[in-house]
Amino acid sequence: MLFVRDLESGYGEMQVLWGINLEVNEKTVTTILGPNGSGKTTTLRSIFGLNRPWRGVVEFDRIDVTYMPPHAKVEIGITLVLEGRHLFPSMSVEENLRLGAYTRRAEEKMDDSIDLVYSLFPRLKERREQKAGTLSGGEQQMLAIGRALMTAPKLILMDEPSQGLAPKLVAEVFETVERLREEGLTILLVEQNVYASLEISDYAYVLGDGKVVLEGTVDEIRDSEEVKKAYVGI
Amino acid sequence: MIVSEQLVSNLFYGALLGSVYGVATMGLSLIFGVLRIVNVGHGAFIMLGAFTAFWMFTLYSVIPILSIPIALIFGLALGFIIFFSTIKRLIDAPELSTLLATFAIGIFIEEVAKFVWGSDYVGFSWDIGTLYLGPVTVPYTKLLAFLCSAIIAGLLYVWFTKTKLGTAIRAVVEDREGAMVCGINVGRIYSVSFAIGIGLTVLSGVLVTLFVPVGINVYMGPDYTLKAFVIAVLGGLGSPWGAFVAGFLFGLFENGSYTLLGLIPGVEPFALTRFVAFVFLLIILLIKPTGLLGGE
Repeated sequence: MLFVRDLESGYGEMQVLWGINLEVNEKTVTTILGPNGSGKTTTLRSIFGLNRPWRGVVEFDRIDVTYMPPHAKVEIGITLVLEGRHLFPSMSVEENLRLGAYTRRAEEKMDDSIDLVYSLFPRLKERREQKAGTLSGGEQQMLAIGRALMTAPKLILMDEPSQGLAPKLVAEVFETVERLREEGLTILLVEQNVYASLEISDYAYVLGDGKVVLEGTVDEIRDSEEVKKAYVGI
Repeated sequence: MIVSEQLVSNLFYGALLGSVYGVATMGLSLIFGVLRIVNVGHGAFIMLGAFTAFWMFTLYSVIPILSIPIALIFGLALGFIIFFSTIKRLIDAPELSTLLATFAIGIFIEEVAKFVWGSDYVGFSWDIGTLYLGPVTVPYTKLLAFLCSAIIAGLLYVWFTKTKLGTAIRAVVEDREGAMVCGINVGRIYSVSFAIGIGLTVLSGVLVTLFVPVGINVYMGPDYTLKAFVIAVLGGLGSPWGAFVAGFLFGLFENGSYTLLGLIPGVEPFALTRFVAFVFLLIILLIKPTGLLGGE
């Protein structure tokens, strides 16, 4: 579904990605692991178009989308759950969700999407009149995921959805990711939470210094010496 | 007794003028809120609106109220032209670039205007009678200006809260990247917001003509730029509603203090009014640093 070939990108003069190759199959969860500063977030941002790719190719459903602007990517079914949520704090939960259905394609499915989001996160339904900025951290993360679902995506890129959450809520986020896959969605996940994310993934990539240093099925990755070495003590 | 009557009269006048200040600042706040650009040439667009009203009245006998939509369309067109010719290239540039660019655009507009219209004060008088209400005597034209300001602010509020495009603009103000992941074309929001901001500003120039006793001049702008900055900060930068409320208060305060300062012997009230207005701004910012309606 998603092919990334030799992707290079960075910020200003500083190159962060040095040729990323990865592939995400339909209806799977693929995880990108790696230490801080290895280029995980930059990879997602470059795929989505928030950072301009310097070189390389991004293909989605066999279309070249390398230089397609973010709003056009949302139109064809890719969205990103940003690190730090990036909600509209002074708007209500429902307004945030409705803005998720901004594209014409998503707008047509708005009612079904809202039902889906409220069935996944009943707490958002209870708080639908409340301002997003007043929600707890866990609820905000639910809303960020819910808003992404409102775009009627085929592929969701998720940047550290469990960051800053209490352990119980972390588990809830991972359960949600699993349910999304059951709903037929494809997910590319960036996580610090190595073992929990491997639990729910089909395939994983490990980044180091802007390159893929290891890839494989979840079992292969879990047993690899490199991952054990890299994450001992975390 | 005379003093209190004069105070009431001036406060009333200040409220009317303040509503026009409000509309004259909403465009500045909108452009800052969406694009994070401070339009230093703001006043030049007010001047263009004032001249639109002047020429429409003198050449075609079009009353200023009917010049409002004309000025709006003129301003929208101008906004789009300036956006695509200049601002678009500078959006990700350092602040100094956009400050210099808008400063230059303001000077350019003033000098072209001077070349075409000269630098003399010009004016027109549109008289539709005067309202006598106890101590208050107000020309109906100023009441109309107030009414138009209130309607424009109200329409804008409805447009921002009820329409899809208006909601998308608010979303970009609150979180640019958040808007991008929703599929909002942020580049388009920039151009539309800039055009609306300039359109509103040119439009406000029409209303301003109903309050200038000495007439208008191509260099009238900077004075309004200064006031608009104070009002925008007072209202919470980037919040058009805050700007409207703050404009209203600023008008009240400016005119109220004018009366009171006039009582002090040896004081030139006009010069001191501005001083008092800035003290007022400082006090508000000490109490609420984000401005009256500013966010966190």
